[in-house]
Amino acid sequence: MLRLPSFTYLQPSTLKDALAMKSDAGPRGMYVAGGTDLYPNMKRRHQEPCTVISLMGVPELLRLEGWSVGTCVTLSTLSNLPTFQRSHSAVAQAARLVSTPLLRNMGTLGGNLCLDTRCNYYNQTYEWRKAIDFCMKKDGHICWVAPSSPRCWAVSSSDVAPVMVALAADYVLVGPHGERVVPAARFYHNDGINYLTKQADEVLVEVRLPAPDGWDAVYHKLRRRGSFDFPVLGVAAWVRWDGARVEDARVVLGGVASWPQEVPEAGAALRGTTLSAEAVAAAADAAYRPAKPMDNTDFDLSWRKQMTRVYVTRALAELGRRRGTTR
Amino acid sequence: MGLGPCIEKVVRGSGWKEKFKQLPDGKGIGLACSSYITGAGLPIYWNAMPHSGVQLKCDRGGGVTVFCGSTEIGQGSDSILAMIVAEVLGLDPLDVAVVTGDTDLTPVDLGSYSSRVTLMTGNACIQAAERAREIIARHAARKLEVPVGRVAFADARVFDVERPEHGVDFSTAVQLAEAVDGTVGTVGSYTPPRSAGRYRGAGVGPSPAYSYSACVAEVDVDPATGIVQVPRIWIAHDVGRAINATSVMGQIEGSVYMGLGEALMEEMAYRGNRNVVHKIPSLLEYKSPTTLEMCDVVTYVVEDPDPNGPFGAKECGQGPLLPVPPAVANAVYDAVGVRIDEVPITPEKVFKALRRKEKGEEPRYGPARFPDIPWPEATRVPPPWEGGDGSAVGPADRQGVGPQAAPAGPRP
Repeated sequence: MLRLPSFTYLQPSTLKDALAMKSDAGPRGMYVAGGTDLYPNMKRRHQEPCTVISLMGVPELLRLEGWSVGTCVTLSTLSNLPTFQRSHSAVAQAARLVSTPLLRNMGTLGGNLCLDTRCNYYNQTYEWRKAIDFCMKKDGHICWVAPSSPRCWAVSSSDVAPVMVALAADYVLVGPHGERVVPAARFYHNDGINYLTKQADEVLVEVRLPAPDGWDAVYHKLRRRGSFDFPVLGVAAWVRWDGARVEDARVVLGGVASWPQEVPEAGAALRGTTLSAEAVAAAADAAYRPAKPMDNTDFDLSWRKQMTRVYVTRALAELGRRRGTTR
Repeated sequence: MGLGPCIEKVVRGSGWKEKFKQLPDGKGIGLACSSYITGAGLPIYWNAMPHSGVQLKCDRGGGVTVFCGSTEIGQGSDSILAMIVAEVLGLDPLDVAVVTGDTDLTPVDLGSYSSRVTLMTGNACIQAAERAREIIARHAARKLEVPVGRVAFADARVFDVERPEHGVDFSTAVQLAEAVDGTVGTVGSYTPPRSAGRYRGAGVGPSPAYSYSACVAEVDVDPATGIVQVPRIWIAHDVGRAINATSVMGQIEGSVYMGLGEALMEEMAYRGNRNVVHKIPSLLEYKSPTTLEMCDVVTYVVEDPDPNGPFGAKECGQGPLLPVPPAVANAVYDAVGVRIDEVPITPEKVFKALRRKEKGEEPRYGPARFPDIPWPEATRVPPPWEGGDGSAVGPADRQGVGPQAAPAGPRP
């Protein structure tokens, strides 16, 4: 059985206290929300904080106002909000597709957006990693997926993050030096180790979603089983309609890189079209080319790459159908 | 042999004749059959002693306790012991105490493997219970003043079968026996019949009884992705006699679950570049079906009693999983016309086979060739209708070496 190491657990009730506690704890302090990612990782010694600071008692992080969502709102709550099911259904859908009901009851929006990148060589016990020699993401120097690679190829495995990038949501961060607002796309790095632009002492407080205003979005997820599993491919597709034509579009892939991978060529292929079969095929083809899955998740990598085309096609087809029914 | 009725059940239940080759593209139905041993004819470690032993104690209050080394691992073997003793002694199974799995207290049973427990401990149990019945019947007959052959056991009473109202409580009957002969305790044991084979290797494979299963699986295959879903499975299993029918149904349905996981997911994958490392060394990544993947199951229990089984019973814990993977593979072929000759039947394999089919290549995925094996010269054993006596004919060094003469026991 894997056991948690001992650590100090703090429960601040204000954001100011949380920041002060983190400052006191230094680099060995970490924030935690639902703990569904951090605690299993601590059992396998991926993260080894001495002090864990819970954000679940900070009221600002639980706020739901208009189209702003506090990051400690659980994924269950988010997926069941009737307003979101109507106006931001892709967000509710992505939240509903994360893991199991039990983990969604604990796991939070912020936790999913900051989810540690994943890799078959990394998400293993300490003893297993030690046995083959540690990888560069933790305790070692080599990338076992691509041994000659200078970088880490661990995979962004969040379901909600690709949707946030597709929607062009804004993230509100609060740190010791005040507040800053970062577009979702700029919150992520395509690097398995430094996958967030967030500083360690900053707290992701709130996500500001665009108001419903002539756009639509969907999220499709590929995984082995219809419950529980992380995505091996996520497709978030967003379009802004201008009458029957697509004024603007974004296609963002999850599970194929260390960040939510936007494919600008796919969006460009859709602009000005009516989401015709040809336009969808062109966008799917554009999304297929840059998708470079590595052999570090479930399923065969060439099949995962092939599926990009199928899943992008299906996501866009759903947007087209919804346009037909909601007009 | 109950295989025929098994096939009839699943074919009729699933509407196989109306569906096979007639479902729309992407939907398919497949049939497969299997047979399995009920315990191995030779012990797992070499010795001449019985494979299973049972002790039975009847106390003067009418309580009965059965002691056996068999291990209850959730398959229901404890219930089998209680039900068999109850059947022989005319008691309610809930009135029989069972002590198992502790060799400080019980005689040896070789263990819960090889689908052997119901048959072997069951037969040992029948022997112990019948010996106890004989002792009690003898004393009851004297008291009832009837020939011992007329003494019957039912409803916790011992009575004259021709005048059922003329009898005594089971506890009184035990007291009658104990007053004269002392404590009533018996033992029973079981050793499988010797194999008829007298050639080298004859010890591998024989079993006291063989179970039969037939399965029909229905699948939905997405031709764009190769993803296979199994909405429903019909399974029929010839268990000989269902001693605990609920447990038998549970074992069959559990077998379908195991077979489905084997058919679709549970892959033993090793790193291509570092062969010693298991690719998925945790239950998080070694995927088994969840409730969402588990299919509906229609279960048929077929009872064709086997003369070697206790009350005719055979195994039901491993056999019914065997036809599931081939039935799924056959259904995939019916759905999209590709053969997947390797488990698990993953989307990648179906997808690749579909690509080959599109290109006009052989529409299958699986090993390209049979591995090279330096086969020894074949052993030929003539069947009885050719006058064979179980011995091999051929080179002298292959003849007449029975399993009993082998230096170490062949592993069942």
